Amino acid sequence: MDNKIRTFMEEQFLIEFDETFPENSNLFMEGVLDSFGYVELCHFLEREYDIKFSEREMTSNVLVSLTQIQEAVALKVKEKDNASAVEGR
Amino acid sequence: MCGIVGLVSADFPAGELPQIISNALSAIGHRGPDGSGYVVADDFVMGTVRLAILDQKAGIQPISDEEGRYWLCYNGEVYNYRELKAELEEKGHIFKTQCDTEVVLRAWIEWGEGCLSRFNGGYAFALYDRRTKRMVLARDRFGKRPLFYHVRGNALYFASEMKAFLAIPGFAFEQDPAQLGSIVAQWTPLPDQTGFKHVHSLPMGQFLSFLNGEIACHTYYQLTFDSSRQVTNEKDAVEQIRAELDKSVSLRLRSDVEVGVYLSGGIDSAIVAHLARQYNNHDLYTFSVTFEDSQFDESLEQNLVSQHIGTKHLAKHITYKDIVDAFPDAVYHAEIPAFRSAFVPMYLLSELTAENNIKVILSGEGADEAFLGYDLFKETILRSEWDDLSEDLRSERLSSFYPHLAHYAGGSNAAVAGLYQQFSKENMPGLFSHEIRFQNGRFSARLMMPDGAQDPFADIMGLTQSSGEFASMSAVQKAQWLEYKTLLSGYLLSTQGERMSLSHGVENRCPFLDLAVIDVAAATNLKFDNGFREKRLLREAFRADLPAEVVDKRKFPYRAPDTEAFIAEKPDYLDLVLSDSELSKLPFINKKFAGLLTKKLINTAPEKISTKEHQTFMFLLGIAMTNHFFVERSGRGASGKLGNLPPLQKVVDLRT
Repeated sequence: MDNKIRTFMEEQFLIEFDETFPENSNLFMEGVLDSFGYVELCHFLEREYDIKFSEREMTSNVLVSLTQIQEAVALKVKEKDNASAVEGR
Repeated sequence: MCGIVGLVSADFPAGELPQIISNALSAIGHRGPDGSGYVVADDFVMGTVRLAILDQKAGIQPISDEEGRYWLCYNGEVYNYRELKAELEEKGHIFKTQCDTEVVLRAWIEWGEGCLSRFNGGYAFALYDRRTKRMVLARDRFGKRPLFYHVRGNALYFASEMKAFLAIPGFAFEQDPAQLGSIVAQWTPLPDQTGFKHVHSLPMGQFLSFLNGEIACHTYYQLTFDSSRQVTNEKDAVEQIRAELDKSVSLRLRSDVEVGVYLSGGIDSAIVAHLARQYNNHDLYTFSVTFEDSQFDESLEQNLVSQHIGTKHLAKHITYKDIVDAFPDAVYHAEIPAFRSAFVPMYLLSELTAENNIKVILSGEGADEAFLGYDLFKETILRSEWDDLSEDLRSERLSSFYPHLAHYAGGSNAAVAGLYQQFSKENMPGLFSHEIRFQNGRFSARLMMPDGAQDPFADIMGLTQSSGEFASMSAVQKAQWLEYKTLLSGYLLSTQGERMSLSHGVENRCPFLDLAVIDVAAATNLKFDNGFREKRLLREAFRADLPAEVVDKRKFPYRAPDTEAFIAEKPDYLDLVLSDSELSKLPFINKKFAGLLTKKLINTAPEKISTKEHQTFMFLLGIAMTNHFFVERSGRGASGKLGNLPPLQKVVDLRT
């Protein structure tokens, strides 16, 4: 999962995460994410992982860096899987 | 309006000076096709190409006083010249012409540098005092007219356009990566920047003194937005706005040649056209650009205004091919990379204007800065209040700002809200209002090779910190100050304005850039509303005079097709940014990033290209093109490389 998000961001926003641009960089402050890019990113994550971000999540500091985005997606996928398991049981 | 060039204390033999000045004047011949002249002495040379607007027969430059002590070459107009002339005549000055040029000379003799604060106009001039051997270069308050200078050894060179410096033996342009980084990050050069090493632009509101090889710059005008004007209620505000704009337009109609108006389709130029029409007994010409691509087109509103006011309206219809074909010539005249292509249609529009024998046009430029017309001002207010607002109120405000984005995002404003959340506190000292724009500019700044020591925003922070007034301004006033000092003067008035109009010998005048108009705007902005309906009082002031469709129309930014036009048309010069060998001529460009960008843009549907990707591409192409013309001195695609010297009307030889 991690590489997929990272690859998407690197291709979409023409960046390269490395020691000079670490994964915990604030993507808004670095000029990577503007509002259009943010919409594109959220669309990608929701489509790719079949998850949904609430407005509150989008307007808080949850999706600011690659590290945080990966953690948020992992948590939502886990919650979704747990919910599916409960439904299945 | 004209073009000026000159030098002082050159090391060249006096015998070479006439040829140097002739070549320099030829390079800017398009600015003044009506005539030219120069004065040459042992220690200075100055010349003018003239666009004859006032006293067409007598106003030949350069001019001097009776003793031949002061010599002046002058570009532009001082609109209140008649009032100043009357004042000077009372003091005993005798005038030989009906030109404002002579008023400028006499005003300097009478008041010295104090004359500058009396001038209401757009001008740049050079004045040499043969007795003290002091050269003065001066520029108007808002940077309407350009003036560039270059210092080499003990010599000072100046010109209305940088390309004139190519006439100086031994001169070579060299692009400045640090300045280019600043320009692409902020969309525009700062007041003293040109993008080239060792070539300076005299900042707006300043004059420069050159004496004994030493330069001293002085500021005679500071933007403050302080107003002592009494405006007691909305009715009073509206009346004052009407009265000041009316006066401003009438002053700017002073001309011995016919004056036209550029109509954009928005409220500002419609007001100017309406006011100009009141003073015209004959048909008033209005000119517009229209677009093949409907997302940029405002022909409906333009025609509506023209018919309503009753003007003789001409439009230049712009296709992708027009933009791509004219781009090299427009860059050649602009002399600087730009963040979009919108200056190219203005180049073609001025051609249409000149073809119809109109030498002077009025435009609505400056209204958005004075009357808070841009979204940027609303954003600044909202972000300032962000933490104190409920989520519902934030959402309501955002919906009114960005209906198109909510549509794009499936009806949600969450993306913009998320962005604003990040920028609700100041991160860059003094630049709160522009932080989102500037942070997006970091994307474009990646075009430049990494240079750990160079922060692209260091210079602009230095500029704000050097202004005594800036720190005490409100957030919105800071936003205005930054717009005046950066985008208005550095791009809108220059690249998109003066440089394009003068490329075809057309002078542009901006009634909204009048001190009294800016003053009444400062006194009324936010006093009678909350700032969330752009230019509300201005609209109310002229509601009865213009079609409701125009008065109530939301701000529609003037734009033109960018990357999509170049990708679709594939001009041969696109290899300047696609070929490795061409890019190698720009060693300061990050080739990897440039390659990724161009590859992505070629493979992306136009509607999926983001604004900052468009801008970055336009900058890349502009950097390559300016390098091609000015550094490599190649001429692909551009016409008139050295221009033609207009007929010489005056040569004064003072050499011993």
